[in-house]
Amino acid sequence: MDQHFITLTVNGDSHRVPVAVQDTLVDVLRNKLGLMGTKRGCTSGSCGVCTIQGEDSRAVLSCLALAIEWDGRSLTTIEGVATPAGLHPVQQAFLEFGAVQCGACTPGLIMTAKALLETNPSPDEAAINEALAGAICRCTGHIKVKEAVRQAIRRMAATTEDADGAPQG
Amino acid sequence: MLLPAFRYLRAADIGEAVAALAAGGDGAQVLAGGTDLLISMRQGLVAPVTLIGIRGLQELDGIDTGATGDLRVGAGVLLTDLAEHPVVLARFPSLAQAARSVGSRHVRNMATLGGNLRLPTRCWYTNQSADWRASRAPCWKTDGGLCHVIKTSETCRAINSSDTAPALLALGARLRLRSVRGEREAPLAAFYNDDGVRHTNLARDEIITAVLVPPARVRTLFVKAAARTGLDYGYGTLAAAVTGANKAIKSARLVAGSVGSWPVTLERAGQIIVERGLNPAAIEAAGEATREDLGEVANLFSPPGYKKRLVRGLVVQVLEQLRRIKPGTD
Amino acid sequence: MARRKAELDVVGRSQPRLDGPEKLAGRSVFTDDVVLPGMLHGRIVRSPLPRARILNIDTSAALRLPGVKAVITHADAPKVYVGIEQPLFRKDIVNYVGDEVAAVAAMDEATAIEAARLIRVDYEPLPAVFTMTDAMKPDAVQIHAKAKGNIAWAQSRDHGDVDATFAASAHVRTDRYSTPASHNCYAEFHSVVADWSRPDKLSVWTPTQTALLFQKAIARALGLTDGAVRLMTLHTGGGFTGRSAARPHHFIAPLLSRKAGRPVKIRMTGDEEFIVCRAGGEVQYRFRTGISSEGLIKAFEADLTFDTGAYVESQMIVLILTAAYIHTLYKLEATRYTGKLIHTNNIPYYFHHGGGIAQMAFGLGLHMDALAREVGMDPVDFHLRNAVTKGHTNMTGTFFGSCGLKECITKVTKKAGWKRKYGKLPPLKGIGLGIGAMASGAKGVFKHDTSAAFIKVQDDGTMSLFIGLPDMGQSSHTAMAIIAAEVLGAQPTDITVIAGDTDVTPLDVGAFTQRGTFNTGNAVKAACLDARQQIAVTAAGILGVKPARLEFRGGKIYPKGEPEKSLPFRKAVYDTLHSREGRFVMGRGFYNSPKETGTMAFSFGAQVAEVTVDPVTGMVTVDRVIAAHDVGRAINPRIVEGQIDGQIFSGMSQVLYEEMLLEDGQVMNPSRLDYKLPRSHEMPAVEHIIVETIDPFGPFGAKEVGEGPIVCTLPAIANAVANALGVPINDMPITPWHILRILGRRGPAGD
Repeated sequence: MDQHFITLTVNGDSHRVPVAVQDTLVDVLRNKLGLMGTKRGCTSGSCGVCTIQGEDSRAVLSCLALAIEWDGRSLTTIEGVATPAGLHPVQQAFLEFGAVQCGACTPGLIMTAKALLETNPSPDEAAINEALAGAICRCTGHIKVKEAVRQAIRRMAATTEDADGAPQG
Repeated sequence: MLLPAFRYLRAADIGEAVAALAAGGDGAQVLAGGTDLLISMRQGLVAPVTLIGIRGLQELDGIDTGATGDLRVGAGVLLTDLAEHPVVLARFPSLAQAARSVGSRHVRNMATLGGNLRLPTRCWYTNQSADWRASRAPCWKTDGGLCHVIKTSETCRAINSSDTAPALLALGARLRLRSVRGEREAPLAAFYNDDGVRHTNLARDEIITAVLVPPARVRTLFVKAAARTGLDYGYGTLAAAVTGANKAIKSARLVAGSVGSWPVTLERAGQIIVERGLNPAAIEAAGEATREDLGEVANLFSPPGYKKRLVRGLVVQVLEQLRRIKPGTD
Repeated sequence: MARRKAELDVVGRSQPRLDGPEKLAGRSVFTDDVVLPGMLHGRIVRSPLPRARILNIDTSAALRLPGVKAVITHADAPKVYVGIEQPLFRKDIVNYVGDEVAAVAAMDEATAIEAARLIRVDYEPLPAVFTMTDAMKPDAVQIHAKAKGNIAWAQSRDHGDVDATFAASAHVRTDRYSTPASHNCYAEFHSVVADWSRPDKLSVWTPTQTALLFQKAIARALGLTDGAVRLMTLHTGGGFTGRSAARPHHFIAPLLSRKAGRPVKIRMTGDEEFIVCRAGGEVQYRFRTGISSEGLIKAFEADLTFDTGAYVESQMIVLILTAAYIHTLYKLEATRYTGKLIHTNNIPYYFHHGGGIAQMAFGLGLHMDALAREVGMDPVDFHLRNAVTKGHTNMTGTFFGSCGLKECITKVTKKAGWKRKYGKLPPLKGIGLGIGAMASGAKGVFKHDTSAAFIKVQDDGTMSLFIGLPDMGQSSHTAMAIIAAEVLGAQPTDITVIAGDTDVTPLDVGAFTQRGTFNTGNAVKAACLDARQQIAVTAAGILGVKPARLEFRGGKIYPKGEPEKSLPFRKAVYDTLHSREGRFVMGRGFYNSPKETGTMAFSFGAQVAEVTVDPVTGMVTVDRVIAAHDVGRAINPRIVEGQIDGQIFSGMSQVLYEEMLLEDGQVMNPSRLDYKLPRSHEMPAVEHIIVETIDPFGPFGAKEVGEGPIVCTLPAIANAVANALGVPINDMPITPWHILRILGRRGPAGD
């Protein structure tokens, strides 16, 4: 088995990780870095529970990303979303709006929603649906998820309008 | 569930990539986005010995308009970027619509135009795990000698489900291809075969570097009929491109995707529009002609009768919409 | 104790779920996240053929592979049975594609997969049957010697004089329907971790709806006492009835672990999910109803034939559930129910989200709608005329202590603008009504329907609530904390819920048959009242009043009507412990429905769906669903809404999208891509009307909401589509090809 070392920055922390050439990011995150928040689902790109954010903040599927291609790159997982100050506005909105039920899809949905809002701060309904279509949610039927996302949009827009421009979590 | 072992080579530039491809023989493949290849590898459908990573190569990147006026889209452009590019949206909206239809946004953030054009054909007898396939005799696609879909078929009838292919075919696109033998251009129209196995004419050691779209003033639309919007293959797709005014149509290309082993150019339907113009009676006639244009349709993912009715309905709907767009409108 | 809303501090207010923050931060541990020292990876070897004789099993190559620690076949488990009489591993004959033949455990997944491939099984294919029709033919292959004619189970029951009542009916109508094979498609794949490295104790982690029944099934199958099996439910990623019975992998993992002497994890692959899930199989229905000239239902007959697949594990339950259903909706004079489970060489089935009832409601709703129209009645009037009401006792002896069915129908149709729309919409647009009811509890399905609870109160006023009820997303734990908080005058956040560990938590039949809120809720209430009494004794001593006069509200204890004479709850608890007695506050309670059979309470509902049919694609857009549900009392309104939403999604999915397609017994679409579950775009706008009839037996009047909504959604959408098309609908899912065929037959552009 071909073994390589890659440098991977996860949630701001730099790691030097031994990987097999056929390891995908979801394997490395869970089995090598102990970050179990990113879930292993269908491993064929059709459920979205493995969603992480790449360095451009876009949502990508860690089950279809070869770890070796991420050498020198950075990414964000669910563990990097909340801050010591508290939940991220997206997480907070999900909590308040009842958008979490069984929780198995939740990390993937949070990353998807966060990626959406960081790449498109004022998405319309079509853009929200488009982003969420890649992440399955069997329990909520996406309804409260979308309400939460709309609320998060409002809250994040309000905070970025703060005159002092203080950085937000 | 797991990927098989392979060797990985990161190509520094396109020259390295094609050299490695040539040197690697049958077991070498390029890896761009990987959103389809990795699934096929997990299912044991393909087992590359060497994967040559070409993600992010500068020569495959970028969307620009060259001196000839052709729109050049790098084969390595991510589908998200293609779908949102202002020039593409303005001049060739069908291409943006098609790019936007592929998979989910997550997939489009990783997948490339080149990868989608080369997308292997699909069939529910073959796009399954190795254990699943052990229940049945091998077929044309899996080194066997029969087709499970159409029992009498001498060729593989798996379905070409690329969304960008129909759109680019309707636009009369060309491909730029590179190998150790140099660079060549070829019309996309000659790229696909009506064969689920040998579905393109790409040489084994060739890489698509760019797609060129000729600079016509064209009215275009792409529609996809799929069970779900976002993350689904279509039951049928239709790309349409017309030039000229409604009363004097210069060219009309209609291409149906996801219904056959190749994107099906609806020749007769397009001809009717050129001959008669874009008006309700001609549109109706074009719709009726699709049955003949489609030929035999396989019972795969949806019944053949449905696919035929669907394509006919989409042709009429799309042509009606195009008729209402002012020619030359950006 | 039917308290008014103003007297309740916690119950009835929308609360975020207590485990929300940990789930949102990705800190919740699901079974696939469990990593134990020395843990191996297991893989099951399955038959690729639907029916075959096993000639030989050769495990030698697998055993020689480095890293393989255990290989097991029937020889290792001769007396292990799944369900009633199905041996765990096949020895002689395999009966479906996926049937378990062997299993391996190895150091890593790749080795386990390779080892599984190295196990060589030689088969001699045998003739097989795949449809119920074929299976019931006289010359059909007999799949099991004991099931003559491939009839695995049959049940029939009459109430009243059926033939005479039909004869006396002014109008009789018969319809046939079908629903397809399906898959529950939860977000968390099936998985199990078993540790039997200690011979005297087996620990199992798995997502489940019932720790108790899994514990017992595993203990019985493996010849252990209940106490030797510790079943731990971590978080359960969705249930939808699919996790209420143990599956073969729950027995295989322990056996691998015992043989290897190390823990073993088995996690299903994408397509394996579609084999092990045991959701619904195809069902054929025939309904016949006789009504009077005033439109009153007199007689009803239901004849259901279920494809039960290769083995009956516990699917006979569906016969009980579907037999009772009609009696929960309408007042009737006579009924006949005939149900059969038929063996085929398809996957062993169970039932999908909705417990067989939702699927039956698809056809039942269409049938009643068609009947109403046939005699010139508006379906709304028809249902109102026949609906059960509060105080009614039905023919099965069920008494409805609360019933908001008529209220739901009236409210939902008013909000939908039914009178303005029904029969007046433009072509291709439709509106439909679906009504439903759902039992809160399992009595009648099981002999006892007990839930128990303990609560311990720390001297700082925080509490630990021990229950046996898993939370698979329906927020049952938060609901229990709310009930506890209400009784003790505390906040839900003061309470830690500890659940689903059979070594620690008390007995609870589980989270299915919609029993959680009602049964466990009543148990929790009883336990908290017990604790409260203990604290009240101390407080009464301090305040100089009788304990019975004391109220517990807002963290304080005071005599009723004298809030100024209050004592902090914490002080009373502290003093109870730090007294000479040193009495630690621990409350215990249990609840079991006092009825012999049947449950104490039913939820009721009605939904109206509006749809648009696309004439080009044949696809249906559900534009809007309005849902009115009598939940007794909404313990946590936002959660109730979320349940309604999720079930509307699931119901819509079944009517319009879902179908597990099998060919020669093999699932053709075993992925979330080819098995069509709708996604974000497809969801309609949903409006909720929560009706509260305050059930006399439910905790604070609450009843279930875990499956009441979905049974309304299927008939509502089905009726709306039939309304839009103007033709009868008989088969589920209502596919785009079926719709285009219908439109083609009538439209100007027909083929």
